[in-house]
Amino acid sequence: MNDERLKYGGKIIYMEGVIVAVDDCSISIDLKGRLGFFKAPKRMFICDTEPKVGQEVGFNMSFPEQLGPKINDKYVSNIEKERRKQEEMRKRLDNKEV
Amino acid sequence: MSITAETAKAHAHDPAVLCCRAEGGITIEPANLEDPAIFDDLVDSGLLNLDGCLTIEEVLGAKLLKTCDSLCPLTADVVEGAKAPSAPAEAAPAEEEVKEAVPAPVAAPAAGGILKIHIGEGKDIDLEIPVGALGGGGAAVAEVPQTAVASVAAPAEEAKEEKVVRTLTRKHFNITEVKRGPETKIEGTTLYIREGIEAEVIDNQELVKDFHLEIITPDLYHTYSETIMDVQPIATKEGDDDIGTGVTRVLDGVVMMLTGVDEGGVQIGEFGSSEGYLDENIMWGRPGCPDKGEIFIKGNIVVQEKTNMERRGPMAAHTAFDIITQEIREVMKKLDDSLVTETQELKQVRRPGKKKVVIVKEIMGQGAMHDNFILPVEPVGVLGARANVDLGNVPVCVSPLEVLDGCIHALTCIGPASKEMSRHYWREPLVLEALHDEEVDLCGVVFVGSPQINAEKFYVSKRVGHTVEMMDADGAFVTTEGFGNNHIDFASHIEQIGMRGIPVVGMSYCAVQGALVVGNKYMQYMVDNNKSESGIENEVLGCNTLCPEDAVRAIAMLKTAMAGEDVKAAERKWNPNVKSTNVELIEAAYDRKIALEENEQSLPMSQKRKEKYD
Repeated sequence: MNDERLKYGGKIIYMEGVIVAVDDCSISIDLKGRLGFFKAPKRMFICDTEPKVGQEVGFNMSFPEQLGPKINDKYVSNIEKERRKQEEMRKRLDNKEV
Repeated sequence: MSITAETAKAHAHDPAVLCCRAEGGITIEPANLEDPAIFDDLVDSGLLNLDGCLTIEEVLGAKLLKTCDSLCPLTADVVEGAKAPSAPAEAAPAEEEVKEAVPAPVAAPAAGGILKIHIGEGKDIDLEIPVGALGGGGAAVAEVPQTAVASVAAPAEEAKEEKVVRTLTRKHFNITEVKRGPETKIEGTTLYIREGIEAEVIDNQELVKDFHLEIITPDLYHTYSETIMDVQPIATKEGDDDIGTGVTRVLDGVVMMLTGVDEGGVQIGEFGSSEGYLDENIMWGRPGCPDKGEIFIKGNIVVQEKTNMERRGPMAAHTAFDIITQEIREVMKKLDDSLVTETQELKQVRRPGKKKVVIVKEIMGQGAMHDNFILPVEPVGVLGARANVDLGNVPVCVSPLEVLDGCIHALTCIGPASKEMSRHYWREPLVLEALHDEEVDLCGVVFVGSPQINAEKFYVSKRVGHTVEMMDADGAFVTTEGFGNNHIDFASHIEQIGMRGIPVVGMSYCAVQGALVVGNKYMQYMVDNNKSESGIENEVLGCNTLCPEDAVRAIAMLKTAMAGEDVKAAERKWNPNVKSTNVELIEAAYDRKIALEENEQSLPMSQKRKEKYD
């Protein structure tokens, strides 16, 4: 199983955060204590009432651990393609606006 | 926490452990004992050692010899007057046999309650084992059908005649080539798509800013693609026929494939990435996926900046893309019948006197691309359909033939491996299997959306309970796609149906990453749709969706449950062997070979999988 590759996987910490953005398919959370930010699909978020900006959330998490030093070229290539495309489209969009 | 007399009875053969400090000399009662459901976790973590521990039935009424602390296992040396165990000698050998014979797929945690095991083959020994894992968060509980299911056929004493309620004819037209041309038409087996149709797609929706059409033939499978939003069959109704009845014309050898980004180049539905090379990211032949050799008419839609995460973005993309499909449909309506390569008749058969079953399919309804258009005028069309989010995600009952005729246009953009695309419903394996199984009477299919908010989840699941209750069903399947908070209502649907005394088989991708977040005592019969080697969301389109092999397992399990046979509890952690054992059991019981699907290991090994997952 993959989690056996974690050296510190058993260290589970209770965390809190604040919802900073909600759209139709995601929620964005600032981790309290300036510990970062993440965005997750709404279906991975459990709520009793409608999620709103400013609400506090709690969750257990652990430390992301590097699985190894090797770089996966496939991901690098996808990221690069994505970046280039966004840059191009961005440019086109800016020109249109001008 | 102490237990009641009832729980003590149910757990009679489980270890007796004190729930709190007890004084020497007392007579042991259920109130002194801890709930055995929590023992597995305690044993795992080393807090509890059950070696030599007496069972609950042995210690009840006996005298405690000395004062003991909480969570002290009651062994023979601290108890006086223990009773003799009731089903001892035979139980031991039997249990081993059961282990071998065990079947059972799935990982569902926290299914509490009792698990009764009936060992068939005339041995006639009943074992009761606690399912454990009550309240255990991520622990996996798998379960399965146990004995031969043949016994289910018995209740058909008053075998009544099968009744064909309605039929649906599918006329297949073969397409071997897709080209661009001055007009959209089909000549022989060549489909031409009008040049310049792109402009109409763009004009159709204000939010659609750009559109590109690509024809992907098998030699172009190794092409880079954005995240696949949907795969759709190209089909149309003849004349005024309604979805689910009459005649449907469908093109073979070609599918519609939708991808999309916003003007800033950000993918629609940013999370589940199956972007990359098509041939490395598609699990060929899954019900919802393209088959190898098919041509894709692939549209990449660009929606207005920042609407990729808003509901109107994906909706506009799907609506605009349907312009092309609709133009092909219009052409198909005029095709000469001489071009039909195959005619297939699907019958909706009711089998009075057989066990009545219903399929409840939970679909996404959290918003944006987690939505579905229900019952369009054309198969997998847009016009005439209502989004299940707009319908409040309440249950909508449809006929099995409506499902197979494209009554769901899926906007779903959840994790690629577990998403059910529009084409999935067109070839829905559970509906097909249940429709063709002569031992059950499939009365219908209920679609229910999965809302975001818990209060709404329970609102809709209560409706599901009442819907199934008034059907007088003998058994039910509850299936869901994806994983996440939809597992909350998935569990609640099962509870609502189960509490009405109707056995329910639950089907979902669970395995490792999709382990259920909640459970209840009605979740005894679970089938895991996982196919990936490591039990994870492997980013390969359709890999972990419901396949024919899962449908066979689920039906075997439901028959077992409806016959009153028991299904063995799953192991605490996901174990893929449970599934293979079950498959073997079913093959033996039904004397049929179950073809198992391939998984991502059969695809060209992309670097990413090689390094990351396997």
